[in-house]
Amino acid sequence: MVLEATMICIDNSEWMRNGDYSPSRFQAQADAVNLICGAKTQSNPENTVGVLTMAGKGVRVLVTPTSDLGKILACMHGLEIGGDMNLAAGIQVAQLALKHRQNKKQQQRIIVFAGSPVKHEKKVLEMIGRKLKKNSVALDIVNFGEEDEGKTEKLEALLAAVNNNDTSHIVHVPAGPNALSDVLISTPIFTGDGEGGSGFAAAAAAAAAGGVSGFEFGVDPNLDPELALALRVSMEEERARQEAAAKKAAEEASKQEKGGEQQASSQDATMTERASASASEAETKTSDMMDDENALLQQALAMSMDDPAINQEAKDTDMSEAASDDPELALALQMSVSDSSKDSSSQSDMSKLLADQSFVSSILASLPGVDTNDPSVKDLMASMQNQSEQKDDDKKPPSEEEKK
Amino acid sequence: MSGESASAIPKGQVDLLDFIDWSGVECLNQSSTHSLPNALKQGYREDDGLHLESDADEQLLLYIPFTQVIKLHSIIVKGPEDEGPKTVKLFSNKEHMGFSNVNDYPPSDTAVLSTDNLKGKPVLVKYVKFQNVRSLTIFIEDNQSGSEITKVQKIMLYGSTVETTDMKGLKKIEDH
Repeated sequence: MVLEATMICIDNSEWMRNGDYSPSRFQAQADAVNLICGAKTQSNPENTVGVLTMAGKGVRVLVTPTSDLGKILACMHGLEIGGDMNLAAGIQVAQLALKHRQNKKQQQRIIVFAGSPVKHEKKVLEMIGRKLKKNSVALDIVNFGEEDEGKTEKLEALLAAVNNNDTSHIVHVPAGPNALSDVLISTPIFTGDGEGGSGFAAAAAAAAAGGVSGFEFGVDPNLDPELALALRVSMEEERARQEAAAKKAAEEASKQEKGGEQQASSQDATMTERASASASEAETKTSDMMDDENALLQQALAMSMDDPAINQEAKDTDMSEAASDDPELALALQMSVSDSSKDSSSQSDMSKLLADQSFVSSILASLPGVDTNDPSVKDLMASMQNQSEQKDDDKKPPSEEEKK
Repeated sequence: MSGESASAIPKGQVDLLDFIDWSGVECLNQSSTHSLPNALKQGYREDDGLHLESDADEQLLLYIPFTQVIKLHSIIVKGPEDEGPKTVKLFSNKEHMGFSNVNDYPPSDTAVLSTDNLKGKPVLVKYVKFQNVRSLTIFIEDNQSGSEITKVQKIMLYGSTVETTDMKGLKKIEDH
């Protein structure tokens, strides 16, 4: 969040026509400039950015330092390529433009895009660098494009002359698959002297990484901190509730055969509770949780719908194991076992009711969203009828148990 | 130190250290390790081991704003015999000067320091030019030996204040 006035020096010489950076060197440069302007103005609303071109007919200031991003982007439009880059003059004019900035409290910074070969002597550049340091102007150099022998050395010498406490940086960007802007995002030029990256830079980096932001719950805490917080809190609440429900369900399963039903009902209870409590939750999250819930629910239903003989035996063994631990529990179990024997007698009544197709169809008709003429429903009823005929001391399906 | 007549406070004048607005103090071309507070601040300036040093070349540009309007009577600049400052130009009430426009304005006063001055003898400035000073710019143009680095051990400013309203003393009138 440093208060800064920045002048960006663009290289619009003939060397920028080359296509080794996609789509062309000039276009890659323009994208990088746009990104930098955005980052600077976002990190501090009082920051100002100006742009000048170094080649063409001569050094020309396109826009003096301003905080108006639209003006900056507009002036990037319709730039022409031509001529030769004059690095020394460009830097000096940039320094002059910064000197006449309106807010004298702003730190001065120049960002130079050096794409073409540097024709100045090293000594000249060092003198310029010293003058910049004397006037406490920081300099960032983006070395891309032409790989001239001596160019890197000259630019490094310039940086050494300017650098005061690591406020100035140089970045070498070789031609390659990565776009110029993407490479720059991770450099100190963007992140500004180790501030840790503004939100803009972080978001841009995330976008560049491609698609999924990788944040927890799919919501960026920077963009919507309240939502992220709500999601986190409800996730923890849900976990706690689930643990409690699981404990409760385990107890109940050992008490009665309604174990499966209780689990299902407690799941239902948690689902409804959650639905009301977390109205603000993102739908993706609730649906994820629901899927887990549904799986558990289906498991419970499957257990109760399963071959009842096996089921009953399994449940009996469960009960006896549990009973050995707790005499009170044993008493409860005994009662429930005696209940179940009553159940089996009434169960046959229930199964008879089920067999009564007309009764079943009337029930189904009352259910919303079920069409009795639907072929799948008819199949289901036919299979149910067969099932109920097969079993005598059948376990009632969980839905029937509720009548108790 | 305090026994020397050279550092005795001129009659009727006060040390203007208390009236310096530290938030606005700036120094161009200072070395990061040897900075302006070493020469200005109470305690630091007495320590000869701490001094202000120039960085890229031998010139220094100091900007000192004050919390209220003062009249400047004299200054003391202490430094080593060879690397201490020689030509010192003072500008009154010129904000945010740079090395490039230092020569655009005539200075309010110019002082060429001798070795005596560097030992602590005060330099009397043109009092009439410094009657209404809100900020002082000190431009050290070169040093005694012409070396690349200028060192300053102590800078002291003497003068008096002009009657100005102290905003902190203003109190809201209580409603009865």
